[in-house]
Amino acid sequence: MARKSWHLDRRTFLHGAGVSLALPVLECMAADGRPGGRPRRFFAGYFPYGIVDRAPDSEAAEWNWFPTGDGKDFRLNKSLAPLERLRSELTILGGLSHPKGRNMGGHDTADTWLTGAELKEGHLENTVSIDQIAAMRYGDRTRYPSMVLSSDGGVGEPTRSSTLSFSRTGQPVPAENKPKQVFNRLFGVDPRSLDAQRQSLDSSRSMLDLVMEHSATVRGRLGSHDRVKLDEYLESVRQIERRVEKSQQWLEVPKPRVHATGLHLEADDTTPGELIKTMYDLVYLAFRTDSTRIATYQIGNMNGATSIAGKFPQLLGLADHMHSLAHGARKNDAGAAPLGQWDLFLTEQLAYFIERLRQTPEGDGTLLDSTLVFYGSSNCQTHVNLNYPLLLAGGSDMGLAHGSFRKFGAEVPLANLYVTLLDRLGAPVDSFADSTGALDQILA
Amino acid sequence: MCRHALACVIAVAILTAAGPLRAVEVDASVAAILERHCVACHGAQAQNANVRLDNLLAETTGDRRAAETWHDVRNALNRGEMPPKEAPQLSSSDRTTLLGWLDATLSERSDLASGAAGHVVMRRLNRSEYQNTMRDLLGLDIDFVKNLPPDEVSPDGFTNNGAALRMSALQLEHYLNAAQNGLARAIVEGPAPPAFEHRAVETVVDKLKTLHWSNRLGRTGTFVARIREFPDEGEFVLRIRARSEAPPGAPHPRMHVRLGYRADTQTPSRDVAEVDVPDGPARTFEFRGRIEEFPIQSRAQSKYPGMLVWVSNTYSDGKPAPLGEKVDFEEDGKIKQKLVWPVDPAFPAIVVEALEFKAPVFAAWPPEHHRQLVAGAPSAREDEAQSAAAVLRRFMRRAYRRPVGEADVAPMRRFFGKVRPRVASFEQALRATLAMVLISPDFLYRIERQDGENRYVDDHELASRLSYFLWGTMPDQRLMELADRGKLADRGTLRVEADRLLGDPRSWAFVEQFSDQWLDLAGVHRVAINPNYYPDFDPSLKQDMRRETQHFFAYLLRENLSALNFLRSDFSVLNHRMARHYGITGPRGGAFERVSLAGAQRPGGVAAHASILLANSTGEDSHPVERGVWIRTALLGDPPASPPPSVPNLASGDVDATLLPLKRQLELHQDSAACAHCHSGIDPWGVALEEFDAVGLRRSSVLRRSGDEAVEHAVDASAVLPDGQRVDGAEALADYMLDSQRGVFGRALTAKLLAYALGRSLIAADQSSVDEMTKAFEKADYRLRELCTIIVTSDSFLSR
Repeated sequence: MARKSWHLDRRTFLHGAGVSLALPVLECMAADGRPGGRPRRFFAGYFPYGIVDRAPDSEAAEWNWFPTGDGKDFRLNKSLAPLERLRSELTILGGLSHPKGRNMGGHDTADTWLTGAELKEGHLENTVSIDQIAAMRYGDRTRYPSMVLSSDGGVGEPTRSSTLSFSRTGQPVPAENKPKQVFNRLFGVDPRSLDAQRQSLDSSRSMLDLVMEHSATVRGRLGSHDRVKLDEYLESVRQIERRVEKSQQWLEVPKPRVHATGLHLEADDTTPGELIKTMYDLVYLAFRTDSTRIATYQIGNMNGATSIAGKFPQLLGLADHMHSLAHGARKNDAGAAPLGQWDLFLTEQLAYFIERLRQTPEGDGTLLDSTLVFYGSSNCQTHVNLNYPLLLAGGSDMGLAHGSFRKFGAEVPLANLYVTLLDRLGAPVDSFADSTGALDQILA
Repeated sequence: MCRHALACVIAVAILTAAGPLRAVEVDASVAAILERHCVACHGAQAQNANVRLDNLLAETTGDRRAAETWHDVRNALNRGEMPPKEAPQLSSSDRTTLLGWLDATLSERSDLASGAAGHVVMRRLNRSEYQNTMRDLLGLDIDFVKNLPPDEVSPDGFTNNGAALRMSALQLEHYLNAAQNGLARAIVEGPAPPAFEHRAVETVVDKLKTLHWSNRLGRTGTFVARIREFPDEGEFVLRIRARSEAPPGAPHPRMHVRLGYRADTQTPSRDVAEVDVPDGPARTFEFRGRIEEFPIQSRAQSKYPGMLVWVSNTYSDGKPAPLGEKVDFEEDGKIKQKLVWPVDPAFPAIVVEALEFKAPVFAAWPPEHHRQLVAGAPSAREDEAQSAAAVLRRFMRRAYRRPVGEADVAPMRRFFGKVRPRVASFEQALRATLAMVLISPDFLYRIERQDGENRYVDDHELASRLSYFLWGTMPDQRLMELADRGKLADRGTLRVEADRLLGDPRSWAFVEQFSDQWLDLAGVHRVAINPNYYPDFDPSLKQDMRRETQHFFAYLLRENLSALNFLRSDFSVLNHRMARHYGITGPRGGAFERVSLAGAQRPGGVAAHASILLANSTGEDSHPVERGVWIRTALLGDPPASPPPSVPNLASGDVDATLLPLKRQLELHQDSAACAHCHSGIDPWGVALEEFDAVGLRRSSVLRRSGDEAVEHAVDASAVLPDGQRVDGAEALADYMLDSQRGVFGRALTAKLLAYALGRSLIAADQSSVDEMTKAFEKADYRLRELCTIIVTSDSFLSR
């Protein structure tokens, strides 16, 4: 596998930390108030339908996604083998799931992986996802608050979502699925679209100016009690104004220069290997250039035959499409190897991404130290909304302790982990979804 | 940041501007009690816990620290902490005197502290008002408020209180989005879009075998139409031809229609309507809506392409729907199985004969809502500025609900001039400009000019006061014209106009909003009925319960009947489902009608409405304390002080108590001095309603459970009310209310309605006007409609 598939502009690359020096984000980084002033980053990657989970004494168990043993004393099976060299950088989590997800259909839970909501007939509204909470918290410090990717793109349909991210009001955030578009948005210089952006920001400005001007005339007609109310209104206008100003500043800041050499920007659903790897490359580059600090990537949704990603295993020469592989592995031991090979393929891609982060120095550590990688699914076996296969890597800056396989009882809601992650990411919440506390066991 | 500082300065100025703060009026008895029990430790000699009370008496109540200390004193007394155990205790009458004085003093203080007390403050349109106003202004009935955060509720329970309603950047962005969204639809461009039509006479049959696909909708059966081609936006019309198939005299079946699509195993959808299908020949039911208001399929990724219309029968006689039975049949020489559903001829059924869908529909192009805003588009580019100015003048007058001058219009015209060169069309620039009008404070707030201390509001301000009070929306053409001619303030005209407004269907907004907020009807959705106690209870009935009370209010208003019917009445206003719930004969369909309660064994006042009984229950049993609090708050206008800190709720107290009869549990209140002070004035009101269970049905015994144990007690609804009157049960309570509390109730309702009409909390200074209005109300035999007129023609309503 060619490792040199990406290439930073020479000037930028030589100066190392100069990438971020070119951006007016230094004060924001300092505002993090942490040693080294490094940003905190979050990536969540999701795959559908679950993994191989056969009886431990069967021969098929060699393909089990979950390791053998527990605590520090664990052995990775074939599916996760590519992570062996990274074992001190990661934690595998067993037993966790969303209690409300257990009431939902077997393929309905991708929507709620990062939200913990319960979707059911008549109540198909979701709630905010953890990545968007972090994005709301410090999204304004980077050019893009967050980057939302999926292989299928768009939002899909409720319970068959093609995005992992949901806004404050539970609206799905549309995912991008074309590497070229993502690259252009991050690094491309498209004068026309910049003009269009500038124009729309200009009109926002004139709009807000007008509102302020007009309000001054309203003021003259008001008594003192009403003026307090008007001030509240004006303060709201001013807040929006500040946001627009911020966006205008970003327009003036040149985008980081990154050459697309070696990136498979034309990759699409006919070349799954390139597509998934390129998506990871793009997340890496976005983090590396501090274009965003929050990214999610849904490798496949659970929309059965109509999912673009369903056929990926077949295109890679594996036996069947994703859904059938998963069913096969649940049915009998013979199904373990075919799904296991797909699990292994996905792990290789993930290991590549983590390794890339680890090999990039940043301050006195690496990019991986400031990046929390969360990876997994919301099914262990197909239709089983329990014992999600989950994995955490990186983020040692944020106090994560690694090198273990940690098992939890079904009574521990996955949302507890999210409370801890959000806290570590600098976007603390009192509680999240159906959390009953925090999951501080993952901390050093 | 400097703005914040300024806001603070203003806030302080208001506090002191609220009038000279009165010195505490301590009657001698209070001073004597304090002297006897408190001052030895909290006086000049000693200041235990850093509390000194003797000098506070000489202070004014306006001092913030004094008020906080009195708060602590009240809490310490309530909790029974003071006086300390070893010291002589307060006699019960001393206790009552002292706490009564503290309650009165502290509540008066909070009036003063609320700053704008007594002033009608510039008032943001609340969700409901904003929705209705946007609908009437743009001529477009779409959901403008779905993303707006909920409104702030004032201490007296209203969501139209100017002081309580806030603004934030988030809120303002939603207003801008809603405006842009609405204008994008209201002002159209280009030629008429092509229309899609679909007609079906047979239901679709999908591979889902467990669903009973059928044209006949009985106990089971769903009619489904699949619409393969549909526009992304625009008004649709759905015509369903259907007839009823029911035994003579049976209740009407209810046709429920929803529109959406199938996303694999789930079906995102939204209700279109639910209507009765009465006896007689087949008739065509017509429904309209905007397709973008419904979940629309993302066409690219759909496994099941097409929009779906589901038609089903929601009538229920309480029996469960039967499952399909497997039946063998022969096909191509093979024996196969299929599911067959039994037909119950006694069950009121619907037969769907045809379904037609058409979208987008419009009587003319451009549609009415467009022509109302943009009368005559400019033919040449150089005419555009002038056309825009004409549009703006017309639109702003309606949006600002007052005459607009050049000073108002000029900045908007300039904005149009700025935007126009940047966009492709006149319409686009116009939309952007009108959106500006819709986020301006003149639109979002109801602003009344401030000049001098007290004055009568001008005619246009009055038009808004009137229409937002009785319609919850902007004034119509007629009110504006009367205001233009300076005729509206004439009391005769006001009376006529109030009557006209109340006779218009738009007054439903008033009925719904006021009855909800006054009686706290939303409470039905806060209580979950425990299915272990009420296995047959259908939660969707809660909405019918709420409607009963709203329709009861509407009926009294429409017929101008006495408001004393709220206390005791021989009728209620029910639909079929509610009548069946109460076990009485009622209407055959979903419409709410007057139903006599003769022989129903329930008094008709609101206290015995299922909505109130359920909202003030635990979901398993009655909650006499909540019911008592509700009667004091809603009917007597005398809300008890909220529970002091550190006093456990009855339910969360001693576990062993859960199996005790209620009377015994409540007696625990009376045993504890901490509880007795308040609860002797609360509990008896609720106890009198003990004959009604959590879902508002009459009962003769009460089941109490704790773990596996269950004990049954006979209902005991006898109570001694605070004035010593003994009542036994709801009938007796209703009689008592009517005989002894009608004056108190009349005053409470007057005060509530006035606070709602003015959009502010009432203060001590309002009391004499409330007294006067109450007298007039009494003189008018407490007729509800008359009370609205009394308020509308009062000085309080006409001035600021």
